[in-house]
Amino acid sequence: MLFILRRFVLLLPLLLGITFITFMLTRALPGDPVFNIVGERSSPEVIEKIRREIGADQGVLRQYGGYVALLSQGELGRSLFTNRNVADDIRVKFPNTLRLAVASMLIAAPLGVLLGFISARRKGRPADRMITLLSVSGISLPVFWSGLLLMLFFSLRLRLLPPSGTGGLPYLILPALTLSLPAIATLVRVTRVTVIDLLDTPFIRTARAKGVSEAAISLVHILKNALIPVITVIGLEFGSYLNGAVLTETIFGWDGIGRYAMEGIIKRDYPVIMGCLLIGTLVFVLMNLIVDIIYHYADPRVRLHGTDR
Amino acid sequence: MGLTGKISATLLLAVFLLSWAAPLLVPYDPDAIDLDSLRQPPSARHILGTDNKGRDILSRILYGGKISISISLLAAFVSMTIGFAIGLVSGYAGGRVDTALMALVDLILSFPAFLLAIGISIVLPTGIYTVLTAISSVGWASFARLIRGHVLSLKESAFVEAARALGCGNARIVIIHLLPQCVPLAFVMAGLKAGGYILTEAGLSFLGLGAQPPTATWGSMISASRVFINSAPWMVLFPGIMIALSAICFNLLGDAMKEKYDVTAREVS
Repeated sequence: MLFILRRFVLLLPLLLGITFITFMLTRALPGDPVFNIVGERSSPEVIEKIRREIGADQGVLRQYGGYVALLSQGELGRSLFTNRNVADDIRVKFPNTLRLAVASMLIAAPLGVLLGFISARRKGRPADRMITLLSVSGISLPVFWSGLLLMLFFSLRLRLLPPSGTGGLPYLILPALTLSLPAIATLVRVTRVTVIDLLDTPFIRTARAKGVSEAAISLVHILKNALIPVITVIGLEFGSYLNGAVLTETIFGWDGIGRYAMEGIIKRDYPVIMGCLLIGTLVFVLMNLIVDIIYHYADPRVRLHGTDR
Repeated sequence: MGLTGKISATLLLAVFLLSWAAPLLVPYDPDAIDLDSLRQPPSARHILGTDNKGRDILSRILYGGKISISISLLAAFVSMTIGFAIGLVSGYAGGRVDTALMALVDLILSFPAFLLAIGISIVLPTGIYTVLTAISSVGWASFARLIRGHVLSLKESAFVEAARALGCGNARIVIIHLLPQCVPLAFVMAGLKAGGYILTEAGLSFLGLGAQPPTATWGSMISASRVFINSAPWMVLFPGIMIALSAICFNLLGDAMKEKYDVTAREVS
């Protein structure tokens, strides 16, 4: 409990730092900083109120204070073009993005762990080399390109799946597959290294000496222990999901935060871009926190020695 | 270095040299619009076909490669240099300096990297140096953390103590004794990171945050041709192959160097 509490307290300075960076970025944008934060078509009263709160004539720190006060009210400003509330837009699009993220993890996690496991057990053999090469390719493919190729093949040529749009399972498959490729690759690498390390440990040798079957060793002894780093990677991949989603959601016309950010970038809709950056980072930081907490409870060794993590 | 490492290095060098020598090699101006040969599939005249403005794709890929590869290499170099300096100082000095510098590193690493790079890019005027700045201002942090960790462990070793006993000053210890020990580690990471930077550069160009039209980069070529994916897939296919190939080579090269210098996987990744 104390550990969780401490991690939450540590979150505060981090959030201050993050907002300070986004604030400095917003200030550096061309144009009026007040408009860049709330949009120029907000009602005059709102603009007046915000100008008072982060008035341009005040010192940087006072302005930053005003900015944080605005953020803490859930105010991410208004789009420069549609004049819609950015926080509202994000709230509407977030479930779509979440759905895609979960779907791509549902593909990536089992595949990545399985392939990594096979690769480790067949270390040095052709199967291992194949899988290693595939995983290097997986982290090296630009998602916007692999996405386009998948779309060309499965939607435009074979006509099996819709090429773009937001909707049920058929719409979900291709973008989720695209996003899962780099995640699978990362998971393979991590699982492989972990399992190879584990195979060298005395307790596996002991298990073998006791006559435990290979299948039981794989399932009980190795997989269980390999799960901890694997969970970490799944969490981190999940958290940094928006990195790839900006490109993938755009390609597939998926109505999530990634495409929203892309539209903001094209139109230079600063409040939209900064809102997405903030939300994406917040999700990332929270996922890190959750991973740390799981880590703490899943691995007694961390609890004993690593309380300062 | 194993066979894969050598092959990767050779391929990268080949792409790099070809792209710099492009003006001597390609028969077409990469930006010359030819309305008589729009969207032509690969043929003897245009080996990789032409795009929607009749421009020769091979020429554009080579000219674009010069930007894409140079920017990634430069970004890796700049990130490495900044991260190296900060990591050395942070690890060796310890105390408050270390705490402050590592807080900054943690802060940068708490952003999803590509999103932060986008945020930095939109603040700067668009152009190829925007991409370089954006990647480097995010990228140095992981180098700094890596080098700092290595310096922390080196600091306690006997040879540093011996140097100090012989009367070496701090600057001498850091520069003569510690720095060379960190170089292989930094280069391994630079190799691995360069593969990622190729993708980041391509992604930012795809979003229109890099070099502006008509200048070709691999990312912007794909971005401009994605509406023609069905009618002229070669327009999308070839630039993407170049991105993927370069990134794969950088990653394989990094892996090969990792084995050669016996750097454990965990230290770098």
